[in-house]
Amino acid sequence: MHIPDGFLPLGQAAIYYIITIIALYFALNWAKENLDEKRVPLMAVLAAFIFAIQAMNIPIPWGTSGHMLGAALVAIVFGSPWAAVLVLAVVLTVQGFFFGDGGITALGANITAMGLIAGFTGFGVFKALKNLNRWVAIFIAGWASTFVAAISITLMLAAAGTFPLDMGLIFMGTYHAVIGVAEGLITVVAILAIQNVRPDLLPWNKAKSSPEVEK
Amino acid sequence: MGIADSIYLIERESMKESILHSLDGRIKLILLTLIIVYAVFSTQIIVLVALEAYLILLIYLSKISFKTAFKRILILLPFSIFIIAFQPFIRPGEVIYILPFGINITYQGLMFAALLFSRIIVTLTSIILLSSISPMQEVVHSFRKLGMPRDFSMILSLMIRFIFLFYDELKKITNAQTSRNFDIFNKKTSYRWRLKQLGFTIMMMFLRSYERGESIYLSMLSRGYSDKSQLYSSLNKKIGKPEYLFVATTLLLVVTLQFLSVFIFPQIGLVGAYIK
Repeated sequence: MHIPDGFLPLGQAAIYYIITIIALYFALNWAKENLDEKRVPLMAVLAAFIFAIQAMNIPIPWGTSGHMLGAALVAIVFGSPWAAVLVLAVVLTVQGFFFGDGGITALGANITAMGLIAGFTGFGVFKALKNLNRWVAIFIAGWASTFVAAISITLMLAAAGTFPLDMGLIFMGTYHAVIGVAEGLITVVAILAIQNVRPDLLPWNKAKSSPEVEK
Repeated sequence: MGIADSIYLIERESMKESILHSLDGRIKLILLTLIIVYAVFSTQIIVLVALEAYLILLIYLSKISFKTAFKRILILLPFSIFIIAFQPFIRPGEVIYILPFGINITYQGLMFAALLFSRIIVTLTSIILLSSISPMQEVVHSFRKLGMPRDFSMILSLMIRFIFLFYDELKKITNAQTSRNFDIFNKKTSYRWRLKQLGFTIMMMFLRSYERGESIYLSMLSRGYSDKSQLYSSLNKKIGKPEYLFVATTLLLVVTLQFLSVFIFPQIGLVGAYIK
C-alpha cells in the first residue's frame, strides 16, 4: 500500500514530511534514552529484519496474497510505538530510494501512515486491551495497525483528490481488513514463540525481573 | 518473492563502471530527486515525455541493462495501475463515452489517468536509475553529507549491510521448508497451521536479528565504537567537470521545460496539457 510519486500534490507531501521529521526527532530521542549506545546496531538489524519479513508473501483468505507490515510487532516487543516509527522509517526510506517501492515525494506520507499511525495504533490498542487478555490484545493490535494504516492512506489519497473516499474505503478497507487478520495472527504466533524461547526480551517480563538480573 | 528479489541485481548494476557511476554521489542524488520533484510538480504530459527521454538517454550512458530497468519498473506498477485505472470513470468532466450501468468515461478523467501514469513512469525510471548507478552506501553517505542526522544515517548505513545477509537467511529458511515439501500456499494444509509456520519463521528471524544486533554492538564496542563515533567514508570524490556538466544539462532541461510549459505550450494548445 505504498503511495507512489505523483499521487500527492507537493504541498501536501511537504506537510507529511514535516510530520515525519517531528516524529523521527522524538523516535531518535526515545532510542537514545532507552537503548543507549546499543541503539544503532539494534535498530539497524531490526530494520533489516522487517525489510526481510515484508518481502515474504503471506497467504490471505480468498486466494490472494499480501505482506506483513510489522509495525505492531516492533512496537509491542519494544514496549514503545517510537521503536516502530524509527524502524519503519528506515525500512521505508530504503524501499523508496533503492527499490522504488513508495515514492520519494510521498516518503513522508508513507512513514506517517505505516510508521507513525500504524505504530501508535498497534501499541495503543495493545495497551488498552492487554489487561483483558494479552494475546487477544496482540491480535487486535496487529489487525488494527494494518487496517488503520490503510485507512489513513485512503484518506491521504482522498485529500489529494486522487482517489474518492467512498471507493477507497471499500477497496483498501476490505482488502486490508482481511490482510490484517493474517498480520494479527502472525504477530501473535511470533510473540508467543519469543515468549517461549527468549522471554527476557519482552517488556512485560522485564518489569518483573530486577534490573540487576536483567543485565 | 517480489521487490526484494532485486537486491543482488541492484548491487551488480551499481558496481558497473560508466561516466554516470563515477559522478559524485550527492550530485546524482540531488539531480535525480529534482527530476522526481519536477515530474510531480508538472501537469503537462509533454514535459514528462521529455524528462523520460532524458532519463532513457542517461540509462544508455550509464550502460545499465534496459531490460533489467524495465522489468524493475513493471514489478512496481500494480498498485499505481489500480488507482490509475479508475480515473477515467470517477473524475467529473466532459463525458466522451457512455457505458452501460451509468458508467461514463470523461475526457478529464482520461487525461488525469494519462498524467498520473506518465508521472509514475518518470519517477520510477529516475529512482531505478539512481539505485543502478550509485551503490547503496554511497547514497547513504550522500544523505549524511547533506545533513541527515547521525543516528538515522548510521542506522541506515548498518541496515543496508544487513539486508543482504537477512535476505539470504530468509531464503535459507524458505529453502529448508521447501525441501520438506512445505508450501505456504498449499490449501491441503489448514490455514491456521500455515500461519503458525510463518509465525515461527518470523520469530526465528527476529531472534537471529536481535541476537546478532547484540553481538554486533559488542564487536563494535571492542573496536572502539562510542556514542560519538562518526560514519566514515572512503568514497570522497572531488566535484569536477563531469559533475558540472551533469548539473548544467539537467538544470537547463528543467528550466527550459518550465519556460515552455508556462509561455509556449498553452498558446499552441498542445494535446496532453492537463489543466486542472
